[in-house]
Amino acid sequence: MAHRLRHAVPLGFAVLILMTVVIAPFYWIFSASVKAPQEIIARKPTLFPQSFTLEHYDKLLGHSNFPTYLQNSLVVAFGTMVITVFLSTLAAYGLYRLRFPGRNLLFRVILITYAFPGVLLLVPLYDMMSTLGLVDRLVALVIVDVTLAAPFAVWMLQAFFRTIPQELEEAAALDGASRLGIIVRIMLPLAAPGVASIAIFAFITSWTEYIFASILIISDANRTVPVGLAGIIGQYQVDWGLLLAGATVTALPVLVLFGLVGRNFVEGLTAGAIQ
Amino acid sequence: MPSPTVANVRRRVVRWPRVSSATLIGYAFVMPLMLWLAATILYPLVASVALSLQNIKIIGSTGEYVGLENYSRILESPRFGEALQRSAIWVVGNAVVQTVLAFAAALTLKQRFVGNRLARIWIILSWIVPTVVVVIIWRWLLSASGIVNYALVNLGISSKPIGFFSTGDTAFASVILINSWRWFPFNAVIFLAALQRIPQELYEAASVDGATTVRKFFHITLPSLRPVLFVMGLIGTLMSFNVFDVIWLLTGGGPSGATTTLPVLIYETAFKRYRLSQAAAMSVTTGVILLIFAALFLRFLSPPSDTDEE
Repeated sequence: MAHRLRHAVPLGFAVLILMTVVIAPFYWIFSASVKAPQEIIARKPTLFPQSFTLEHYDKLLGHSNFPTYLQNSLVVAFGTMVITVFLSTLAAYGLYRLRFPGRNLLFRVILITYAFPGVLLLVPLYDMMSTLGLVDRLVALVIVDVTLAAPFAVWMLQAFFRTIPQELEEAAALDGASRLGIIVRIMLPLAAPGVASIAIFAFITSWTEYIFASILIISDANRTVPVGLAGIIGQYQVDWGLLLAGATVTALPVLVLFGLVGRNFVEGLTAGAIQ
Repeated sequence: MPSPTVANVRRRVVRWPRVSSATLIGYAFVMPLMLWLAATILYPLVASVALSLQNIKIIGSTGEYVGLENYSRILESPRFGEALQRSAIWVVGNAVVQTVLAFAAALTLKQRFVGNRLARIWIILSWIVPTVVVVIIWRWLLSASGIVNYALVNLGISSKPIGFFSTGDTAFASVILINSWRWFPFNAVIFLAALQRIPQELYEAASVDGATTVRKFFHITLPSLRPVLFVMGLIGTLMSFNVFDVIWLLTGGGPSGATTTLPVLIYETAFKRYRLSQAAAMSVTTGVILLIFAALFLRFLSPPSDTDEE
């Protein structure tokens, strides 16, 4: 008992520190976002809100362009999600379930594109979008975000596609199922947790993306959340209440989606790296 | 080409479809993604070389071919070299801080405790939220009236609030720590997965032989993690090199250029100072430097392969 306790106390302490480091900052902005303005900037910070107000949220959602940004971000994120899921699932099926020459090479090329520093594409992609007349259009962001999300999505799918027994496919083929039938009726349902994970990964990638969104979008009406919110930061008089409410609303969809697939998501994330 | 004989044709009819259909189908599945990536990565890469040889300033305007002028200008001015140096410090600083934190976190999460299944998932919270949220959180925590300064002043560590982003060194250290805060959980879950794959029997056998915890760490844990450390070392370096938004939104590259790493310099040159071709030349040069880094890394740090891939 004493021995277990000797182990438990430092462990409990380590867990507490770890969780504080990761979670506490989020609690801190959320709790501050419902405080009255004078409490937010009070000299002595309050751990629990002494006042409660939704005025910052009201200002954010009712009296700023934030709803427009939200709508743009949602459009781009859904577009990115659909295309990424389509392209990566196809590629993952080919790479992990079929045998053909050159497969390994293709896999490596996709890995390289995943590690490729996107900042090097900043100038030429802007040039390309400009030539195509896509500057200041949301579709430009969808195109870029798919490129950022898809290689990693293929990598994440590895964990889910490789574990499906080959016999299932063979049995279905013997029963006369077509290749497409096999994919739709057998592979997709079995790999569903993986497909859901990459869908959410694609959504989050797009929801988060700042750098390309900041150069490819010109007009305020087409801005996405990260750029719009960053614009609010840059204003001379910092309105903390508004910013903290904005940060909370921006983080919220990510938290909800991650809550749905968290375990599979982390599984897919790690399985690729330690293969 | 020999004219096809009947036998030849027949053999083709019988064999050709079998051999190639698997290949064709395989390629058909992978091709859409490959074409997408070629159009958005490969083509722009080639285009950036072309851009870098002209003198385009603002996008949409036309330029003339100026040869290697942009490159010689980059190499002559100190800005590029300084930014390269800052990028190196940035990458190394992040690698050290993140590896230490991630290891500590992974070793903690590996233990049994109530709620550890949840903790193993939610630890990556800071990695999945948008950077702009990370930036607002830390601007708020580190502001003059923020909790960090409140704690520092009240614990007597500092006599007055510290302006974390107002001097070069503190600004650079702050952005490294903030970026590490964002990324270490991601590394931690990968280390954790790798740690869990080390057979427990190895540790038990070592205990029987009387090995200390430290010895076990250096003789069992570290060697077992070598492949993961290798992958993370390469990919992590490239990804950390690429970080732009955390720096830009916290410091804008300042104060007086102290946090201007290469990505910040490229962004600034192209979209704030409107020297597009020059920025393209910087991108190409940076790409070559990273390529050399990757080649050296692969050449000298590859773990002995088990070649049981697939």
